[in-house]
Amino acid sequence: MKLYSKKAVVKALCFVCLCSSASALADGRVVDKVYHPYVQPLEREFEYRYFYQRQADHPDNNTMGQKLGYGFSVTERAALEIYVIADRISPEDYKLTGYELELRWMLTEQGQYSADWGMLFELERQNNQDNYEFTTGLLMEKEFGPTSLTLNALAVYEWGQTLDAEWEGEFRAQYRYRWLPAVQPAIELYAGENYKGAGPSLMGVHKFDKQKQLKWELAVIVAIDNDTVDRTLRFALEYEF
Amino acid sequence: MRNKELKNKALRKNSKKALPVAALLLLTLPVVAEQKVFELQIKDHLFQPSVLYVPAGEKVKLLVLNQDPSPEEFESFSLNREKVILGKGKATLFVGPLQPGKYQFFGEYNPDSAQGVLIALPEEQWLRYKANHAY
Repeated sequence: MKLYSKKAVVKALCFVCLCSSASALADGRVVDKVYHPYVQPLEREFEYRYFYQRQADHPDNNTMGQKLGYGFSVTERAALEIYVIADRISPEDYKLTGYELELRWMLTEQGQYSADWGMLFELERQNNQDNYEFTTGLLMEKEFGPTSLTLNALAVYEWGQTLDAEWEGEFRAQYRYRWLPAVQPAIELYAGENYKGAGPSLMGVHKFDKQKQLKWELAVIVAIDNDTVDRTLRFALEYEF
Repeated sequence: MRNKELKNKALRKNSKKALPVAALLLLTLPVVAEQKVFELQIKDHLFQPSVLYVPAGEKVKLLVLNQDPSPEEFESFSLNREKVILGKGKATLFVGPLQPGKYQFFGEYNPDSAQGVLIALPEEQWLRYKANHAY
């Protein structure tokens, strides 16, 4: 019995092409979490994200960033998260660089339609520079048997004292094999300003007691064009309780 | 004649541009077939029924009614679903189309007691089951 067709996979890939071709360019970090379009009532979590970039002769060499967040659902379909951001941009030292407020909004029930949809709204303020970045866009996920394709098509508006006001685009994709709860391999693709990269990732979830669980993600993204920094490491931990 | 050729050329060009947009629209089209609805209750931190039979190969709707005053979370890795149902609340889950087989689920807030299994039956077995268990 054929339960999901090749046509559906082709449609999803067309969507990937459509979004990546429409991608403009963003100043911020492009490699970040690939968001799923789901929100649960009573959701509460602490989140830690880390990224590191490496290429000896690239301006982004040795750049390191960390994000620490606390999130909670505000309605059955919407969740808020607040982050503190710290960056190290060579040759400067590590420092607290900004704050971010994020709202995720689940638009459709999982499995109700042929794809699941959500929206993301983020407002980031850069410390001491009076610079701001507003991000919004669509989150999509579609199941293909034991695998899931997640796409984020985002528009970014930047403005502030040391930034030219401009609209940019970002695109993130993740194709995940739901092998075991603790181990789920995936491939990820990112496109944004001066960045086009792809690479393998691994993620999973470990349950402790009742609704307490730890989600983890690790990805190594490599450049797919000459402007992009060679290697980016991405790591994230989410403790839900 | 020349105008007609130019017009056809422009149409071909535009139709190429429209392909990804059409693909995106098709991707979002809702499933129009009527879905079978199955009810699952949570009472005293137990799923009732704890064994739920559904037809394989089609999308089904699970209506989960939580009769307990405390919240519960329907969770199943094999079904790729997790959904919190508030105390005295209800939630709708859409699953499938499923391959014939067994799919375990549990309540994340009370995993020791709230356990169940969803069994997806192939068409012939499903028709036999339906004939023996009139709804």
